[in-house]
Amino acid sequence: MVEAREDVCHDARVRAIELRDIVKTFGEVRALDGLYLTVEPGEVHGFLGPNGAGKSTAIRVLLGLLKADSGSATMLGGDPWRDAAELHRRVAYVPGDVALWPNLTGGEVIDVLGRMRGGLDEGRRAEMLDRFELDPRKKARTYSKGNRQKVALVAALSARADLYLLDEPTSGLDPLMEAEFQRAVLELKSAGATVLLSSHILAEAEALADRISIIRAGRVVQSGTLAELRHLTRTTVIADTATPATGIGEVDGVHNPQFLDGRVTFDVDSDHLDAAVRALAAFGVRSLAAHPPTLEELFLRQYGEDVTT
Amino acid sequence: MSSPLTGTRHLLRLVLRRDRFRLPLWVVGLGGMITASALAVPPIYDSPEKIAGYASAVGTSPVSYLMSGRQAAIDTIGGIVANEISQVAQLGICLMVMFLVVRHTRAEEESGRAELVRSAVVGRHAATLAGLLYGVGAAVLIGAITTTSMLATGLDGAGSVTYGVGLTLLGLCYVAISLVAAQLSVSARGALGLAGAMIAIGYVVRGVGAMQDSALVWASPFGWAQRMDAFGEEQWWPALLLVTVTAALLALAAWLTVHRDFGGGLLQSRPGQPRASRFLGTPIGLTLRMQRGLLIGWAIGLTALGLLYGAVIPTIPDLVASNPDIARAIGVSADAEQALIDAFLRYIFVFMAVILTAFAVTSVLRLHGEEESGRTEAILATRVTRTSWVRAAVVVTGLGTLLLSLLMGLGLAAGYGLGMGEWDRVAEQVGGQLSYVPGVLVVAALAVAIVGLWPRRSAFAWIAVAFVFFQVMLGETLRLPDLVDGVSPFWHLSEVPVEPLEALPALTELGIVTVLVMLGLWGYRRRDLGRS
Repeated sequence: MVEAREDVCHDARVRAIELRDIVKTFGEVRALDGLYLTVEPGEVHGFLGPNGAGKSTAIRVLLGLLKADSGSATMLGGDPWRDAAELHRRVAYVPGDVALWPNLTGGEVIDVLGRMRGGLDEGRRAEMLDRFELDPRKKARTYSKGNRQKVALVAALSARADLYLLDEPTSGLDPLMEAEFQRAVLELKSAGATVLLSSHILAEAEALADRISIIRAGRVVQSGTLAELRHLTRTTVIADTATPATGIGEVDGVHNPQFLDGRVTFDVDSDHLDAAVRALAAFGVRSLAAHPPTLEELFLRQYGEDVTT
Repeated sequence: MSSPLTGTRHLLRLVLRRDRFRLPLWVVGLGGMITASALAVPPIYDSPEKIAGYASAVGTSPVSYLMSGRQAAIDTIGGIVANEISQVAQLGICLMVMFLVVRHTRAEEESGRAELVRSAVVGRHAATLAGLLYGVGAAVLIGAITTTSMLATGLDGAGSVTYGVGLTLLGLCYVAISLVAAQLSVSARGALGLAGAMIAIGYVVRGVGAMQDSALVWASPFGWAQRMDAFGEEQWWPALLLVTVTAALLALAAWLTVHRDFGGGLLQSRPGQPRASRFLGTPIGLTLRMQRGLLIGWAIGLTALGLLYGAVIPTIPDLVASNPDIARAIGVSADAEQALIDAFLRYIFVFMAVILTAFAVTSVLRLHGEEESGRTEAILATRVTRTSWVRAAVVVTGLGTLLLSLLMGLGLAAGYGLGMGEWDRVAEQVGGQLSYVPGVLVVAALAVAIVGLWPRRSAFAWIAVAFVFFQVMLGETLRLPDLVDGVSPFWHLSEVPVEPLEALPALTELGIVTVLVMLGLWGYRRRDLGRS
């Protein structure tokens, strides 16, 4: 389904982002290799992929910083390259690699970026500074990595935008701040804004995203709602049991059970976790550990190859 | 075994690997200029009459004193060669070691890369020592090339060696000064500013001391190197002075290293404003704020330089009176004095304008620096267009150049006025300095074009600066063909105040400026932005 280009920007049916067959090369490297990405208005879209998959390149194309070699790109009904400055009035951005002016204070950086966007919301600025516990008087040179990230976050979140492009926004944040960030994104969503959230952490996207696109080597390899991708989100369970948990492989949703010295390791689909744990209890659980699969593990499972190549 | 010096060898190897093009470029570029000049001079002064002529006219002129100091044995071919190359050689070696040393000490620490290195088995003083060894190596190379090229032209052996050693020791002294500056400032720019100011002060103090023939020359490392009197009496005790001061400065740098935190300095940053001023929210406001330190530093330096040069003009008639040779050559009359003053002014105007090209290129290249650091991305993700971002850089550089020219002219006029008690030539002197602005702007506009069209080659803009320096300082010495001279925009401008101001060359150059800026903007608007 292709939307007509002449649609009015504010029409609710216009997609927030539509990238079709985008190719972008840097010399020999094909950073984007026929990328399709669709983001509907009002949704939080998780943009997942390992390092170097092309997430930042795609976002830079959307910002009009890079010009795609071929393919068509639409953002908020406009051309990201041609209408860049006009579109940016309605866009807020957190770069993947935050660079600040070393001799400006955090507060000054937030103001500079906010005013250049066309004005910032004073109330939100104060609120965000408070929520992220950021001291705006310190020179950017003296901020830690986490604090630099907070400056970029406060600058973007203080803006009243229709579309938020967040490139790995939680890198360097501590767990408390990460939780604060998640609350802020959910607020944006309930206010009707669209969010493109790039990440290499599946759990983060899981907590926030309505839909997810997984990118690898410049192409989107999976895209859909969380429910559709449920089969991708398996939890790895490691348990020591009193008696060998031999029957565990029979439980619905349990995959690859492996036994070693009274310890069992298996993967289980997230919606069957309850049943699996119940079944495990019958064997007398002595210790139990569980972790969600990393994106890398998912890729290994999906493609049976090393994602780093 | 780990000592504060552990790992120096590894660091030095890393430095050499990183600078495998940069160092050869400096050595070949600077060494080449020195060699070319050393070889070019003797054929020009091939008879005793010509040598005597040089000694009485060029070698004792106020311009020569100011630029090159009082060279010993100016009435021998050795003295003439030394006098002709010393400006380029002395300034060149100091600038070279400053840039190389700061690049591998404070700049590394500021970038955070040094932290990674320091976490390995690397001692506290290793980085400083590696910087020292590197700077010393580069200075020794230049000194050796200088001595070798002098010997190759058949100059006196003892004189050639003395000159080369003096030059090397001057370089070492500024290696030590740069190391101290790198300890004092928390930013590489700050360290370059401090060390650069020390070079400027050392050079100007020696020049003024030489003009006045006063003890002031002993207040400058440039003076100590020169007072080794290569090709003359050859005395070695000033070398001891250079070595002692260098050693003391190195001890200071080591002491500072021990008494500060990693990443810190003595000139620490204070807490600032929680809110940005209204002015800061525009591209021009932000650009200006980012260049505030640069502008203030240059404004102070160039105003002081103007004042000083203005203040020495009144001594020119005395110089003529005290030197019967000059008097005989040009005649003693009010007109002759005025001609001499005009020639002096013309040289000062060009010299200061050429220095200003370094400011203009630094200022333009900030546009590229912002892009490389990733900050331009944040700006262009707002409503700011590429055009307005480039325009801000162009406007700030252009106005900065004008303002600094104005300050230099006013400084010169004020120095002259204070010395002579005459204030009726202010407009003439300020106007004279401003008449060279188009040349500065051509170099700046070339930098804009390069940033727009070939961002990865941005450093090439410095080649233009090096070339105009070269042309202005050595163009006459080397008797360059017009085709080569003509590449420099300053060669085409009227030689105010020796010649009356012509509008055509200036206007043509302003036209070229416009074209180059438009080209740069065109390139900047259509290319990818971001780190290359």
